[in-house]
Amino acid sequence: MMYSEAILDYANSKRFRGRLEDATAVEEGKNISCGDEIILYLKVEDGVVKDTRFEGIGCVISQASASLMIERIIGEKLKNVISIIEEAEKMAKGGSFDEKKLGNITIMSDVKNYPARVKCFLLSWRTLDQVIRKLSQS
Amino acid sequence: MLSTRLYEDFPTLKLKINGKRLVYLDSAASSLKPKRVVEKLKDFYYTSYSNVHRAVHTLASQATVELEESREKFANFLGVSPEEIVFTSGTTMSINLVVVSLLRSGFLKEDDLVLVSLLEHHANFVPWLRLSKFHGYKVDYIKPSGRFGTLELDDLLKFRKARPKVVAITGLSNVTGQRLPVEELRNVFPDSIIVLDGAQLVPHERVKPEEIGVDFLVFSLHKMLGPTGVGVLYGRREFLEQMEPFLYGGEMIDRVTLENVTFNELPYKFEAGTPNIAGIVASKEALIYLEEMGFEEIRRRTRKLTELAVDGLKQIDGVEIYGPLDERQQGIVSFNVKGIHPHDVAHILDQEFGVAVRSGHHCAQPLIELLKKQSTLVEFPNSTCRASFYIYNTEDDVETFVEGVKKIKEWFTR
Repeated sequence: MMYSEAILDYANSKRFRGRLEDATAVEEGKNISCGDEIILYLKVEDGVVKDTRFEGIGCVISQASASLMIERIIGEKLKNVISIIEEAEKMAKGGSFDEKKLGNITIMSDVKNYPARVKCFLLSWRTLDQVIRKLSQS
Repeated sequence: MLSTRLYEDFPTLKLKINGKRLVYLDSAASSLKPKRVVEKLKDFYYTSYSNVHRAVHTLASQATVELEESREKFANFLGVSPEEIVFTSGTTMSINLVVVSLLRSGFLKEDDLVLVSLLEHHANFVPWLRLSKFHGYKVDYIKPSGRFGTLELDDLLKFRKARPKVVAITGLSNVTGQRLPVEELRNVFPDSIIVLDGAQLVPHERVKPEEIGVDFLVFSLHKMLGPTGVGVLYGRREFLEQMEPFLYGGEMIDRVTLENVTFNELPYKFEAGTPNIAGIVASKEALIYLEEMGFEEIRRRTRKLTELAVDGLKQIDGVEIYGPLDERQQGIVSFNVKGIHPHDVAHILDQEFGVAVRSGHHCAQPLIELLKKQSTLVEFPNSTCRASFYIYNTEDDVETFVEGVKKIKEWFTR
C-alpha cells in the first residue's frame, strides 16, 4: 500500500525540509506533467555528503521519497550515493535490487505496481542524480 | 441508474477496478468508445479497407466512398459544406495548421495582434505564442476576472478597440468547465478572424460555425466517442481557398513540374499523405450515436451531473472548487482538497473507489498560475483534480466520487 503510516510519516516529516544556507550545490527538479517542483540543497565536503535539505511541494509519494532519500545519503561518500541512486531506480521500475543498500527506502517498493507514480517517486532521485553529475564534472 | 442500452453499448463500463465498479470520470481527456465505433473499425479493416482517392479498383472505391460519407456527415452536423471540412489528426494538428497557413498566406503579418484567453489548453496557446517569435506578430491575453478563472463578457469587451487580427479562444474550458459566450465573439470582434477551439464544447453541444460567425472551428473525435487520431477542422471557404497548405506531399497536389506545383481542390489541399482512413470512417458512427441520443439530452444530462458534483463537493469542508459553479459550468469539475495533493486524491479514488479522475495541470499552465494566485489554500499544488462527465455517467457515479473524496479527506486529516 502506497499510503502506509510509515510513508505518510516520512511525507509529513519536517526533518529534511527547508533551505540549506551553507549548501555547496543546489539543483531544481521538475515533473513537467504534474507541475511538481523540488529544490535540493547539498553540502558536500571531501567527497562526502555532509548535509542535505529539500524545498517544494508535491504528492505523498514524492515527498516521502525525498525524505527517505536524504535520510539515507547523509554521511555517504559520493560514489556510494551513485550506487544508491541506481538501486532506487531499479526498485521503482520493478527490477531486482540490493535491499541492504536502500535500507528504509524499501518501504516504498510497492511503487513499481503503479507506473503512473514512478515519476513521483523518482523526482528527488533524478534531481540528486543531476547534482552528482555536475559535481563529478567539476 | 444507467440505462441497460448504454451499459451494453460501452463494455468498458463492466470493468472492475481493484474490485470496484469502474466510475469513469476522465472523459475530458478522452471518452470511452461504444461497440458501434469499435465494430466499425474492425469491419472496415476486414471488408472495405484500402487507400483512398488514388486507385480505381473496387476496394479503393468503397473506402473512398465511406470516407467521403463521413465528411458529409460532419458537414451536415455543422451545417457547412463538405469542402470546408478538413480531416486532421486532432485539435493540436488543426490549430497548428491554421496558424501556419494564415502566416504563409499573409492573413497574419508582422505587428498584427493575436488574442488568446488564459483559459486555453496548450494546443491553442503554444502554437500562437511560439510562432510569434519567428514572425513578429503580437500576442495578448484575455484575462478572466470572474470567480476562479471564470471569463466574463466584460473581459472580452475590454479588447473591443484593440482590433485584433485573430481571436483564438476555447468554447469550453478543459479545466474549469466554463462554457464561454461564443455567440458574442462576432459582435465584439466584427473584423477579426475567429478561431474557436471546440475540443471540449463540441462533444456536448451542436455548434453551427456559420450561425455564430466563427471562421474556424476545430475539435477531436476521441473526446466524443470516436477513435483517436481524428480531428475535424472547419474553415470558412474563402479562407481555405486562399490559404497556403500546411503540409506538402501526396494527394494535396494538382500538378507537379520541376519548376512549381499547383494544389488540389478543397479540402484535399489540406490533407497531405494517407489519412487515418478507418478512424475517419468509424468517426461517423460516433456522431450517429450522439445524434441518436440528441445533443439537447447530452447537454442536459452532463449539466445535471456537473451540478450534482459541485453541490456534493461544496458540502466537504476544505474543498476548493474552480470555475463559475453556475449554469455556465458544463461537464467538468476541477478542485483541490486542502492539504492533500491531487495525485494522492486521484490515486486513492482509483485504488479504493474505482473512480478514474485526472490530476495535473491539464496542459493549461497559464490558467493554473491564475488559480494559484486566487487560491485560499496555504500550499497550492500547481495542479488540480478534475472529474469530467459524459453520456454514460450516472448520478450513482457522482455519489461514489463525492463519497470517495469525503472519505479521503477524513482519512488524511484524522
